[in-house]
Amino acid sequence: MVETDPRATDDRQRVRAVEDDRQRERVDELRQRLRALGYLDAGVDRFVLGPAHSTRRPLIFTLLSAIRVGIMAALLLGPAATLGVAARVPGLITGPRDAAVVALYLGVAFGVAMAVATLTAALAVVAAARISPAAVTRRASMLPRSAGATVGVACLVYFTFWWRTVLADVGWSAPLWTTSALAIAAAISLLLGHAVAVVASAIVISVSGGAAPRQASWRSTLIAGAVAFGAAALLLTWSGTTSASAVPPAPLTVIPSGWRVKVIAIDGFDPRVFAELDAEQRVPALASAFSGAVADLAAGADWSPDPARIWTTVATGQPATVHGVRRLETRRVPGVGGTVSTTDAAGAWAALRNVTDLLRFTRPAIVSGSERRAKTFWEIGAEAGLRTAVVNWWVTWPATASNGIVLSDRATLRLEYGGDLDAEMAPASVYEKLRGQWPALKARAERSARLVEPDPSASPLAGLGRRSAELDALQLELQTAVTASATDLSVVYLPGLDIVQHTLLGEQASGVAASRMSERLAFIKGYYITLDRLLASYAALDPHDDEVVMVITQPGRIGDVATGRLAARGRWTSSSREVSGSQLDVAPTLLYALGLPVATDLAGRPLTGIFAREFTSAYPLRSVASYGAPQRASAARASKPLDQEMIDRLRSLGYVR
Amino acid sequence: MPIALPRFFAEYQATIEDTLRSLVPDDGTVVSKAMTYTLDAPSKRVRPVLALLAAELCGGTAARAMTAAAVMELVHTSSLILDDLPSMDDAALRRGRPANHVAFGEAIAILAAFGLLNHAYGALARAYEPPLAARLAGLVTDAVGSRGLIGGQAIDLLATEKDIDFDLLERIHREKTGALFNASAVAGAITAGADGTALAALSAFAKNLGLAFQIVDDVLDVEGDPAETGKAVRQDARKTTFVSFSGVDGAHQLAAELCQAADSALTPFGRAADRLRALSAFVASRRA
Repeated sequence: MVETDPRATDDRQRVRAVEDDRQRERVDELRQRLRALGYLDAGVDRFVLGPAHSTRRPLIFTLLSAIRVGIMAALLLGPAATLGVAARVPGLITGPRDAAVVALYLGVAFGVAMAVATLTAALAVVAAARISPAAVTRRASMLPRSAGATVGVACLVYFTFWWRTVLADVGWSAPLWTTSALAIAAAISLLLGHAVAVVASAIVISVSGGAAPRQASWRSTLIAGAVAFGAAALLLTWSGTTSASAVPPAPLTVIPSGWRVKVIAIDGFDPRVFAELDAEQRVPALASAFSGAVADLAAGADWSPDPARIWTTVATGQPATVHGVRRLETRRVPGVGGTVSTTDAAGAWAALRNVTDLLRFTRPAIVSGSERRAKTFWEIGAEAGLRTAVVNWWVTWPATASNGIVLSDRATLRLEYGGDLDAEMAPASVYEKLRGQWPALKARAERSARLVEPDPSASPLAGLGRRSAELDALQLELQTAVTASATDLSVVYLPGLDIVQHTLLGEQASGVAASRMSERLAFIKGYYITLDRLLASYAALDPHDDEVVMVITQPGRIGDVATGRLAARGRWTSSSREVSGSQLDVAPTLLYALGLPVATDLAGRPLTGIFAREFTSAYPLRSVASYGAPQRASAARASKPLDQEMIDRLRSLGYVR
Repeated sequence: MPIALPRFFAEYQATIEDTLRSLVPDDGTVVSKAMTYTLDAPSKRVRPVLALLAAELCGGTAARAMTAAAVMELVHTSSLILDDLPSMDDAALRRGRPANHVAFGEAIAILAAFGLLNHAYGALARAYEPPLAARLAGLVTDAVGSRGLIGGQAIDLLATEKDIDFDLLERIHREKTGALFNASAVAGAITAGADGTALAALSAFAKNLGLAFQIVDDVLDVEGDPAETGKAVRQDARKTTFVSFSGVDGAHQLAAELCQAADSALTPFGRAADRLRALSAFVASRRA
């Protein structure tokens, strides 16, 4: 019997194990090489060509294969595009469910587009085959590659420009993101181009009976990928990404002037009507507000009668193309919680909008602050550490706690309906406080309105005046309730005058007799007086010693010829001085007054002419590059949104149809 | 464990033998004898069987596809005679017999090879209507040409006793073996009027199967028994083969995977393609 050395046996086993590992590695490598050469798993090709074996007609099998390519594009591009849309259309995607639904919609859109592109390329091959079969046979390998390359290049160009559009603010300033995105774009383009080439080659084979074209080697695939990536990078660089807003916002420092700023925003204000009434000394409170420095706010190219749009322009100092709020009325897509803004274009777009509404593919919704892409002046102030309070400004829902006290444009609805908060105001403690005071606040507002509009039954229009006055009084009550002596910035938006003016002179005014129209005009003038008394009763326009009161007016939904005004009254404002500006200049002017630096990427500039020389000398204008994008802090949302209630209310006030 | 030839395979083989005899009759001349010498030698007739199965799978009949299938065997036999020549692989044994040039001399062997090719094109022209005949002739031309058997053999000769990389080895196999496998599958399908999708699927099947067939060939050259394979073994010692890259076990494994991939390519046909799957199972396990 031969004895074996156990150590020698172990060594042999070890050597064998090492050899086995090496062998496995070699086989793995060969397997990969074979895959690259088109053997083994040719899943994409089989997927693309799979379903059409039952048909013998090139056109039908082309159609079926194109649908498969479309499905592949949908699966690849739907989720990728959703990421981009989420970045580009704030407010549309509010959670994972929205993302899934949007991915589905975009997937369908991209899938259909890709299927059409594939079908077109393949039909071109079919047509060529029918016209000249011999030529197709001669070019059996060239034709499919050309078709695939055409579609692949088109995809790459599209994806690159899409990326540029989606993240215009980022570009090469975020090299990792951009490199990843371009790599994905190149890979998807190659894959889709390959799929189209497969379909085209199947057609060529069916016509010529030749062999399938040789699969690209892994080397040529790598080279093609590198070339595609390089081309996309060059295209992105050539097309010029930006930008100033890519610069991260610098921390803001406040150089306090000791001023507190109170802002009264009046919509539907016609300076010429005011001038007539002022000449008759019938609006003394407003006259005193306009007795200081006054700036004309010219209706620039960005002017629109849409209140959500124009008042967001005023609040941000940016045009609608930048701040993103184009219309009060937006559209909601079934299954998606967020909204998507619609253009204010007429014609074909409006018709399309109506058709999608009619088909219930979209339904009207109200624009929200989630869609806004620029900071408001109160958000900038709050971030810089100022104590701010804003009441009833447009597009302030959902309110987030990081922006000081915000009573959004839905705050009174929540107070009226009760229940848990759904971001109608912030911080949540304000709701607790106001909830208890609400009956008293409401009663006081009604009393104030009664004083200025004593008898709603006196005329058919008096009821309108009373309701509008109550609405304005309620906002002033709320402003008083949330504004403390330490509040640095207090802002309120008063809609009453615009509601009256629009109700009497808007679409319902067509066909009204001259005598009735005269009565309506007189009533509108009367509401100026009502508003004046209301403001006087709240002492809203009387600045304290440490306060500047700024009245911002806009012509409202009717005033296509009137300009807005910015009136400033306080110790350090210039007296009786008139300067020219635009709506875009309001936010920078307010920020300057609050002692904040002004961002150079704002479209407007501070109207320093409305301030006294001592002030501008003591507090020279400072600037920063950018305030950055709005922070999307989570809002207190524990209840059902008052979406329908908001729409009903705006409809009753004539804002939406 | 080798898988026995399926019964349908034997039936096809018998019909193919008859067709080959009718296409290349022995007219008593030395060239005719040389042609039938190699053509009648024992063979599995994998290529013509592949063509017949493809035709039936695509809704055609074996009878209509028979000539095209037999043509593939004529071309293949022609290539074997040429491959064995002293100026090429210099093989002495083929299909269990002395190679054609050993039995008839080099010059006659060359003529026999060309004679078989000549018969192949003629058979297509006589058996099918002109458009189909032209299409099939084009297919055969591509499979034989500089991107097919001829091209593959040329590269193979130039690469003998040289280290070649894997991509070049794959090209040699693709052109020397894969091209005719592909042509066989496509030719059968064309006679059945198959659509592009079916052709593409069969092409993918043939491509994987062709390489698997060649890998098994390489393995048999290392570990085969001349009595079973019918040809001299270790004949490829001067060449880089699949076994050089993967070893014998790895080659077996990859051949099996390629046969699986070939089967997967037939997914669109469902169970109707089971006979082709049986063919691939046979290829993966063959011992000769």
